[in-house]
Amino acid sequence: MPPANDDAPRDHSGQAPDEEWHRPAVGLVVTAALAAVLVVGVLGLPRELAPLPAIARHALLIALPVWGTTEPVSEVVYGSRGFDTFGETFLLLAAVVSVVTLSRSRESRDEYVGEAAAGRQEQREHDPSRGDGGEEGEARQAERDEEDGDDPLPDPDAIPLGEPAPEHAAAMSVVVRTAARPAAIVLAVASVYLAAWGYTPGGGFPAGAALTGVAVLLYAALGHRAVSRFVRPAVLEPIEMLGGAAIMAIGLIGLFLKNSMFANWVPLAPQQTIRAGGTEQLYSASELVEVATGLTIAIFALLGMGHDWTPDEDEDQGEGGAGEP
Amino acid sequence: MILANYLTAATLFCLGAFAVLTRRDLIKIIMGLSVMEASTYVLLVSMAYRRGATAPVLAARPTGVTEKDLAHGNVADPVLQNFCLTAIVIGVAVTAVFLTVAVRAAQHYRSVDSNDVRGLRG
Repeated sequence: MPPANDDAPRDHSGQAPDEEWHRPAVGLVVTAALAAVLVVGVLGLPRELAPLPAIARHALLIALPVWGTTEPVSEVVYGSRGFDTFGETFLLLAAVVSVVTLSRSRESRDEYVGEAAAGRQEQREHDPSRGDGGEEGEARQAERDEEDGDDPLPDPDAIPLGEPAPEHAAAMSVVVRTAARPAAIVLAVASVYLAAWGYTPGGGFPAGAALTGVAVLLYAALGHRAVSRFVRPAVLEPIEMLGGAAIMAIGLIGLFLKNSMFANWVPLAPQQTIRAGGTEQLYSASELVEVATGLTIAIFALLGMGHDWTPDEDEDQGEGGAGEP
Repeated sequence: MILANYLTAATLFCLGAFAVLTRRDLIKIIMGLSVMEASTYVLLVSMAYRRGATAPVLAARPTGVTEKDLAHGNVADPVLQNFCLTAIVIGVAVTAVFLTVAVRAAQHYRSVDSNDVRGLRG
């Protein structure tokens, strides 16, 4: 059934006219040209019978003697290509910073240059009767209170069993909530295990993604209240910075001690033990911290993008104000 | 025949590019970019493949086989597998930024049609 109050006009297929193809002929020609270039390119790639390239053979040869790891993929991630992984990590950090900056709610940035503070001072000097407690001050306070938003929803675990489902569910049913708690513990332990044992390719990356999954699972099952104690910028951002700082420290210590960024400076442990891999393990653990916190920040920043930036005057003008001045 | 994988990756890439070129819905453009990213994963893992190869793991090697034998023998390419891991992480990061821009544009312009979000306005 079509929505009762849909602003966009729709055709018989349910598609809004805006969603039609845009210059399909041009797109087809450009795509065909791209396809021709790609086909020529892939025909020249090495096939399944080609010998391994020298860099791959090098990784296989040095994994055990230099890094003490039986996983050449991990050796490549944190060893041979450690500096590339470093850049990749900070690309992830840059993406997280971009998401956080873009998703931030509208705020007063005039304090940065001090104009607002100077204006308030001048107002106090010339018109002391219009202080913060006036009508304007009350309106501003009310706006702040609205933005802060007291959570009126009760704790889901405090609602007795058998009660009808709340109108605005803050969490899922008691069955899901009960199952999610042990599942989260098992998944969190499995995530850390992935990174802790040095013969997992990539270690910290999949482990970090899995830990983010634990936070999202708890949020989905138990509601924001359950995760708000640890999923908040004041907690996650310093931890993410610590992860980034640890990666830089591992690389720089290698540079000072071994004259090579990210060279191993930890005594090698027996292969397939928890300390195997030298600094690869430290690097992997730091990646776990960086990836888990970075992805969690990005996901919850996206989920929290509730503030509507559309100027109010557009609403007053009615429909059709799609941002055109 | 691994060439089929290569051509599949090229086809996926072209499908994504076609979506980016011909759709105006920001979400669909982002989906097209994600398909293009995914095509690189197919290509990299396929390029790492060697017929009848073992995984690039040095544990539990057959008796008498050293890592030197393995490096010159039949084993999948660990470097390209690492590239795939890198591509996934960068793909996630880039998609997160794209989605955030799309959500913000939708909130600002009340539209996800890229034709509607061309006007520069504070």
